Order: sequence, then C-alpha cells, then structure tokens
Amino acid sequence: MSAAARPDADLKVRGAAEFGTDLAVPGMWWGALVLAPVPHGRLLRVDLSAARARPSVVAIAAPDVAGLVDGAQGEPERPPFPASEVIYSAQPVAAVAAPTLAGAREAARAVRVEVDARPPVTDLEAIFPEWPGPAAAGSLNVAAHVRARHGDVDARLAGARTVVAETYRTSGVHQVPLEPHACVGEFRDGRWRVRTSTQTPFGIREDVAGILGIPERALEVEGTWVGGGFGGKGAAVLEPYALLLARAAGAPVRLALSYREEFLLGRSTLPFVARLETGVTDGRIVARRVRLLLDIGTSLPGRDFATGYSIGFLLGPYRTETFEVEGYAVRTNKPPFGPHRAPMAPQAAFVAESHLAEVARRCGLDPDEFRATHLWTEGARTPLGQAVGPFGLAAALTAARRRAAEWRGGLRAGHGVGIGLGFWSTNTGAGGEARLRLSAGELVIEQGEREIGSGSVLVGLAEVAHRRTGLPRERIRVAYAGTAAAPFDSGVYGSRTVGALGRAVDEAAGALLVELARRAGASGAVQLGVRDDAIVLRPAGGEEIPVARLLTEAERPAGGVASEGRHFGAANEIDAARVLEGSFYPYQDFTGAAHVAEVAVDAGTGAVRVVRYAAFHDIGVTLDPASARAQVEGGVAMGLGAALTEESVWTEDGRLANPGLLDYRIPTLGEVPPIEVTFVEGFPGAGPFGAKGIGEPPIVPVPATIAAAVRDAVGAHPTELPLSPERVARAVKAARSSGPPDGAPPR
Amino acid sequence: MTGAAVITVNGEARPIGEVPGDERLLDTLRWRLGLRGTKEGCRSGECGACTVLVDGEARLSCLSLTRELEGTAVTTVEALDRDRIGRVVQSAFAEEGALQCGYCTPGFVVALSGALRERGPAASAEALLGDLSGNLCRCTGYATIARAVARAREQLG
Repeated sequence: MSAAARPDADLKVRGAAEFGTDLAVPGMWWGALVLAPVPHGRLLRVDLSAARARPSVVAIAAPDVAGLVDGAQGEPERPPFPASEVIYSAQPVAAVAAPTLAGAREAARAVRVEVDARPPVTDLEAIFPEWPGPAAAGSLNVAAHVRARHGDVDARLAGARTVVAETYRTSGVHQVPLEPHACVGEFRDGRWRVRTSTQTPFGIREDVAGILGIPERALEVEGTWVGGGFGGKGAAVLEPYALLLARAAGAPVRLALSYREEFLLGRSTLPFVARLETGVTDGRIVARRVRLLLDIGTSLPGRDFATGYSIGFLLGPYRTETFEVEGYAVRTNKPPFGPHRAPMAPQAAFVAESHLAEVARRCGLDPDEFRATHLWTEGARTPLGQAVGPFGLAAALTAARRRAAEWRGGLRAGHGVGIGLGFWSTNTGAGGEARLRLSAGELVIEQGEREIGSGSVLVGLAEVAHRRTGLPRERIRVAYAGTAAAPFDSGVYGSRTVGALGRAVDEAAGALLVELARRAGASGAVQLGVRDDAIVLRPAGGEEIPVARLLTEAERPAGGVASEGRHFGAANEIDAARVLEGSFYPYQDFTGAAHVAEVAVDAGTGAVRVVRYAAFHDIGVTLDPASARAQVEGGVAMGLGAALTEESVWTEDGRLANPGLLDYRIPTLGEVPPIEVTFVEGFPGAGPFGAKGIGEPPIVPVPATIAAAVRDAVGAHPTELPLSPERVARAVKAARSSGPPDGAPPR
Repeated sequence: MTGAAVITVNGEARPIGEVPGDERLLDTLRWRLGLRGTKEGCRSGECGACTVLVDGEARLSCLSLTRELEGTAVTTVEALDRDRIGRVVQSAFAEEGALQCGYCTPGFVVALSGALRERGPAASAEALLGDLSGNLCRCTGYATIARAVARAREQLG
C-alpha cells in the first residue's frame, strides 16, 4: 500500500536535511564539556590553567560566567556551572573550545577537577523506606507534594468486601533520539544567537535567557531539522554553554554531545514507586488510594509538572466512588527529570491496568469486563471533578476484546493474549500563533516550529489549512522562521501541534476566507481552489475569481494577503475543593487506546517474544491517515522497548551504568511484530475538526498490554518494569509457589 | 603511506595522505569533504546511521579508518541516485513514508542499496531485512521500512 510522499521525504532520503549535528559555520570552533567525576560532593577545585596554556583554547567555569554576560544575574538555583557543590551525575563543571575537535577534547582532558565526594542520594526507597509522613513535605529531598481527595476513602476501604493493596516499581527510560543534542552558538554585536536541534525554539529562548540572565530579546533561537525528539529536546542542555564559549572564543562554537553523553546528560525520565489500594463491593469500585514517590533528579522545586500529572494516569480512566491520591517529587543526585513521549504514562498505565486486573481476579471477575464496566463515559466526572467529554475508549475496548477473542482461539502452549488500555489528553501548552500568507500561487503557513519527524508540522498544519480552505495540499507550504521572526508557539510536545497550533492555523485560515469574501463581495461561504495554475476564490454559487485580482498593490510584492490566528487553550475545570495541595492538570480532551498483544513466554528463562499486536485508537477525526498510522506503529515499537528492555540502570554510587546502545536496548528491526492499526472516530477532541493528538497515545498502553499477555501466558503477575527475562522468570516462580491468585479468598 | 594515497569518494579521487592514521572515515567524509548526509549517531557501530558503501558493500564509516581504505571507492548517500538501485530505494522510502525524523534514513537507504547490489533483485525480503537489522530507527517501528523494502524489490524484480 502506498502513502502520499511527505514534503520532507525527498530531502531526507538524499541526506540533504541539515540537522543540529550537521551545522558548520566558517571559522567555527569546537566545544567540549568537562563532566563532574562523581555525582555528589563539594567542589574543591576546577583548574583550567593547563587547558588555557594550550594554544587557541578557551576554558570557562563558574567564576567566568558573570564576565561573559556583562554581569547579568541568571537564575541562582540553576547556574550553568556549579560554584561549590556537584549535585548530579555527569554535571558539567567546565567547558572548553578550540578550533578543532581534537584540540577541544585534549583541552577538556587537561582540566583538573577535584571533588570531595559525598554519598549520593539515588534510591527512592532508601530515602523513604516507609511512606513519608507530613513532616516529609519540608524535607530537602522533597521538591513537590501533591494531594487530592474526594469522599471518605478510609471508611469505604474498611467497609469494602475486597481490598487489594499492591506496590509497583518502574524504571526511567531515555528518549534515545538517533541524533544526539547539538548546536552552534554565536555572539556578535551584542546579540546572542543559537542554532539548535530542538522541539521548542521559544522554550529554549526562555530557558537560556533565564539561565544566563540575559533578556529574551537579545537572544535568537533558530531550530534545525530534529533527528528525533520524543520529549528529550525541549530543555536547554547545551545552548548556554555554546553561547558562553562563543563569547569567550570570539567565534561561533559548535557543541554536540557524544552518544555516551547523550545518555548521561539527556533529560530522561526516572524511576517511581507506586502503592495502590482498591476496595470493591458487589463488583463496584468503592475506593481508590494511590501513593506515588517520583524521582525527579535535580529538577527544581516549583518546576515539577510530573507528579500531579502521573497520579491521574495511576488512577486510569475509571470511575471510583471515592479516592485519595498523594505524591512526592523526590530530589536525587541525578540529572533533572525530562519528559519522554507521554511522560510517565506508559509506566503509570502498566501500574493502573495490572492492578485493576489483579483486583478483578481476586474478586473472581473477568479483568476485561471489570475494566469495561468502570470506564469513563461522556458526561461522567473524573476523580478531580472534571466532566468527561467525547471519549472513544469504550468503543476501542469493544473492538480490542473482539480481536483478543479471535486470537485466544487455538492459542499455542506458552502463548498468551492480553489487553491494555491507555488514557491520554491532548495538551495545548502555553498556546500558539500562526500567520498565513496567500499569494496568487501558494498559501504559506508562517510559524515557529520545526518538523521533528511525526509530520505534525509539515503534514498536519498543511492538512488543517487544506480542510478549512479547500486548497490542495501541494499548494500549501509550511514555512519556518526562528524566534526573531516567527509568531510565538509553545513547542512540539504533548501531542499538541495539530491540536493547538493547528487551531491557530484553522483560525487564521477562517479569517483569510472572511477577508477574501469581503473583498470579492461574496455573501455566502467561500473556498479556495486552483484553475489554470492560479489560485482562485470560489464563492458558493458564484463565479470563480483569481486571487491575484483580490490582492492590493502593497500585498503583491509582499507575498500576498496575510491573516493571523491564535489558540491559548481551554478552561481549567478541575474541582478545586478536591485538591488539597500542589498542582494537578485539567484534560483538554479525552482520548486513548486499547491494545491487544499475543506473546510467547519461555517460563524457564522469562524471555518474552511479541508475536502479533493490534492497536485500536480513539483519534477524534483522522486528518492524515498515513501519518496517523505511522505514529501508532512507531509509538507501539517504542512502547515495546519500555515494556521489555529499556531501563536506565543507576548504580548505588549514583552513576548511570548503561550509557550506550548495547546496554540500553531499544527495539531492533527483527523484534517488532506486525502491528494492526484501527482508528475509532466519532468522539471529537479539542483539535481542529475534532482531531485528537496522536503522537503520544500509542506508547501509553503498551507495557500494560504486554504484562497482561504475559499473565495470560504463564500466570505471572509482574509488578516491576521493564519485563526483563529476570523479572518475568521471578514472577513466574512467585506465582507458582503461591498458587494462582484467582483462588485468593475475599477479605 | 605517501602523500599520493587516495580514496575515491562518489567518483572523485581524494588524497588522504594528510589524514591522521586514527581518523575515521565518518569524520573524513563529514568534516574534510563536507559530505554530512552520512549521519553521526553512536560512533561505535551500534546504530548504523553512518553506513556507506565501500567498493559497493555496506560498511559502518564510524568503525573504518580512512587510511586503511586507500584505493577503495566510497559511495555516500549524496551519490546514491547515480544508479538505478539507489534511485529505486530512495523513491521506495519516500513513497512508503518510511521515514520520520530522517536521521537514520541515509544509513537505511545506503544499507539497502548495498544489500540489493550484493544479493541481486531476487533476494528474499527476509534476507534483505536481515541485512538491515544493524540499522536502528526510533521513529517508525520499522513497519514502513519493511514496506519500502517490499516496494523496492517489486520495482527491481
């Protein structure tokens, strides 16, 4: 089957797309970072003298920063270099640049760093072996504390016929973009400029300006093609150093992470521990209690979004009569936490789904039926009191159950079939703006995001303009400009590009049609089309008018008639009375997927092979079928990594033990099974034409689905991610020694 | 080694006598010759993004020392469209949408072109996919890539 070629396909198959790692500027120097030798300790000395003694080398550390930014004061809690204390593994303590890469590496090796090492804090359960009491909220290790409640959970749990309490543990996962972080910084005529591989040019501008203490207007950020983002290319990891080095060197400086450094310094997710308690009476969930300890590394207090967000996914899209959630964001000596495609949701869904399935089994109920009867339906309230909008997950589950029933017929020994559900919501971020410009020959969408691969910018935004105006997509061009020229947008993350920036494009397209109709004197609806190679306005029931005739004298040389659109998100509908402490986040819309997997499990070794896979997705409306399908295929594959092999391993002394592709294993070509993709339509979301984001949802149900299939195959009930052979084998052994939990008596 | 040592890159003789003995082909291509279509990923032979053809065979340029390739002919993604196999492979990837971010794409199209050249157009899809199993892709889940392999076989067969 064939798909329409993407606008960037030709460039990319020829190797002609210039990524961050490919940037080269005449006279460019090469930078390198000097990383702390230990994750925690008092910084005794950073001796740059040997590096500086080499010809054509600049070397900088904490004392040099103020001079390089003319005495400006950056945010004191996140200086580019530490002055007195190393707080995380591989923290940059100095940076060097030289005219050649070899020169920069030699200079970096010449920097002497002395640290009085202290024991690092790495393990959540070593910090809080017991559930923290109220005093913990004031602990130095706690960056955020969130709490919400509805109803009397204690009383309902005490009165419930069955109560199931479990603890789950998950691992951090890395985005593993094939392109490591890379940028080129420049300083000229008092202006800072950085070209970088980023998902959020405006976010980088804000971040860098804050870190260096320079005004945003003095800094221009220009995005390059992005060789994989997945959430990892949103924070300013390299840009401040490249800019400081550029000023010190008086030359543009290229700074790129080696692949090992990408693992060490990339902002990835970190482990969490979740404790869940659920009470059931007569097949109904009467109470849920969820407690979360989330490792956020050295993320700053007040910057934690993950805790309140993750807890919602631990509850899942299910009704409960009462609930109580409490979460702590715990600081450790690891790099700051970073988002990873649907941050924490695949791990949280694994916990929520595995737990509710276990609850059902202990009640003697069918896990699929139990989840189906508790799923949110439109009009129901979320635990935080928000009204549920159009939601296709029940329809997706029905389809998934049919497919699972087919696959269960004639299953081979050692094989199993499982269903996992995943909930998600399109994020609108801090909003965005777009500008349209229509000439006689093309419609240009002027905006500030680079295409990161999903197609959301180059295909998605063009499709929105096409649907609104009727103009064929080959006449619509998505243009990119850096932060100095482009209208603001929050970034390509949160499955928001089409859902939020797309609404700005839609609004601009609508405004354009209104203006053209006014100029043409048309009273009814108008559309755009093409005749004789020229763009024409088509008034309903009227004569076609070439757009060239509707442009003013001033507009013709300026690229045509312009219009603008903006979108700044929906209202917060959370019931404030249910929030006791901290930040929780409202959902913009309600989406998700039901997945089915067949696996083969070797009960002896614990090895899991995924035989086949089917994904049923609520998508609102499918704007571009090929891109949407590709998102699901790619998201499922990434989820299989998180389910089975991917795990950042932290040693007791606080180092990342597996910073490389041989030890941090992502799925390879032979390991991804055939994936059947089905879209469920008819449940409109927050995006244009009712579209729902599809970038993140596909990864969410995967670990839960694989776990359910493993349970079906060998009776094991794993409570840790990823499902490595060792963990599966241990769970098999535990299940066999304790007997099947199905027979457990009700409490 | 003398100053007259050369490798042929995309049909052009390039002197490599000045190239340090420990320089990798990847760096020679990207930073001496400006051929940055060949991508730098892991630099340790684990991702396949830097695949080039050396005398028609797929090879990881990050694990190849330039000076050791004296007398060979190197083909990079920039010159892949000079023969029919390369053109068919590139258009198969474009038509099947077998790319997203595009960073692994040069490595994949070069590796598949090398595999098709070596095995001939009658090669089985399994064999060709096996030849690509050292190339990592983080975006596609390999589904569209497998469809591109099928399309390329069909068009060459």
